[in-house]
Amino acid sequence: MMKKFAAMLLTGVMAISLAACGGSTGASSDSAPAAEEPAADAAAEAPAADAAAEAPAAEGAEDTEFIVGFDAEYPPYGYLDEATGDYTGFDLQLAEELCKRRGWTLVKQPINWDNKDAELDSGTIDCIWNGMTYSTPERINAYTWSKPYVNNSIVIAVVADSDIQTPADLAGKVVIAQSNSSAEDALKSDELAELAGTFAELQRNPSYDTCFMDLKAGVVDAVAVDIGVARYQMRNNPDTFRILDEPISTEQYAIAFKLGNEALRDQVQETYDEMLADGTVMKIAQNYADDNLPDMLITE
Amino acid sequence: MGLLTVIKQIASGFGATLIIFFFTLLFSMPLGILVALGRMSKLKPLSILIQGIISVLRGTPLMLQLIVVFYGPYYLFGLKLSTSWRLYATLIGFSINYAAYFAEIFRAGIQSIPVGQTEAATVLGYTKVQTFLKIIFPQMIKRTIPPVTNEVITLVKDTSLAFVLAYQEMFTYAKQVSAAMSSLMPLFVAGVFYYIFNLVVTLFMNYIEKRLSYYN
Repeated sequence: MMKKFAAMLLTGVMAISLAACGGSTGASSDSAPAAEEPAADAAAEAPAADAAAEAPAAEGAEDTEFIVGFDAEYPPYGYLDEATGDYTGFDLQLAEELCKRRGWTLVKQPINWDNKDAELDSGTIDCIWNGMTYSTPERINAYTWSKPYVNNSIVIAVVADSDIQTPADLAGKVVIAQSNSSAEDALKSDELAELAGTFAELQRNPSYDTCFMDLKAGVVDAVAVDIGVARYQMRNNPDTFRILDEPISTEQYAIAFKLGNEALRDQVQETYDEMLADGTVMKIAQNYADDNLPDMLITE
Repeated sequence: MGLLTVIKQIASGFGATLIIFFFTLLFSMPLGILVALGRMSKLKPLSILIQGIISVLRGTPLMLQLIVVFYGPYYLFGLKLSTSWRLYATLIGFSINYAAYFAEIFRAGIQSIPVGQTEAATVLGYTKVQTFLKIIFPQMIKRTIPPVTNEVITLVKDTSLAFVLAYQEMFTYAKQVSAAMSSLMPLFVAGVFYYIFNLVVTLFMNYIEKRLSYYN
């Protein structure tokens, strides 16, 4: 009987020590200088705890945290930089600069794009800064918005040797877009209802990356997508894809805050305007010249 | 982008996967035993209540349960959620879901012990608690190792469901690397990680099973 217990105890101890080992594995990757999301988790707790220990103004410490929600599968606006292991992208670099100027701690929080409203409402993120389209009345009324900062167009991407040349050629074809994306919204809008009605089918997928894989594999005929994302894909897959000359819709990107959070919006807007005025925004856009961002920037 | 970089990136998400895996086992197994005991309770209302809970937990997708645990506090009670809640909600969601499955496995194990043993223990003057701890429980553990191993292996792969809460575990990373590279290769690398992890888990469980079969 004692032996049985010893064996069971041993099992229990092993399980616990393994669990502890699991914890420390996580912790060590947290503290790695390549600050990826686990670090964001740690960062979220650590500074708050530190500040509480050091400074009596614990409330101020919480205020300085700026949690940006983004889709980490949405290059060039937000994506994982494989070389550094950190999240980067045009929008995230803007957010970094903005936080530096305001003295805020930036927390880059990757989100599931389908849950963006719930994330914003429940306070797990402060804003969505990730090529978020300022269009359609439903969207405009659902958030508190910054001023638009990028001119975007929704284009149709096809494989290079496709016989589709204009949006009209999409009749009877299978088109795909990211679910809950602005491309999907655009295709469902009244202006494009006629065009969308000619498709054999409008499919949806949680990630644009998968949409382009579908296109490459031939299971869909075309992808309706934001031009910046399409250009990034073309850069990564030379000679594979082609963009139709005629965009199906033009629109603008803006930063979305929780409805009613004008206070935070105004702070962000104020600093963004400074960054725009002194040319910093354009400098960051130049990092994404290959994706055509400098031309798309709203500069006035 | 070399294979080595991809492996390094995906490995950086492995820690998060391990956290879900070990803490889920740590919490769900003891909880499973309690639930099994409650399910077998002579107190009818308790037994029926627990049957209902098990039925819901096994009958709805884990993905949905994770969403309910994560957003429930805000949408039901209006509480503001914190950044760290993402991890806690993931662990709670996984633990209660797996506890429901473990409870049924443990119940099968407990009920498979011949009732004569309990009667003999009573005659020998064992209390109910003593009978359970010293006679029923050790045999139950031995008998349920194979089905428990099944669940543990499933858990390794289920950890990827945490993506729905955007908890950054290994598969979420693999998808992000895949998006950045516009290539499927990182997903296959993640598959190899899962396979190796499960190989280790299986060997470990086989070892435990052998250690516990001391009468053979």
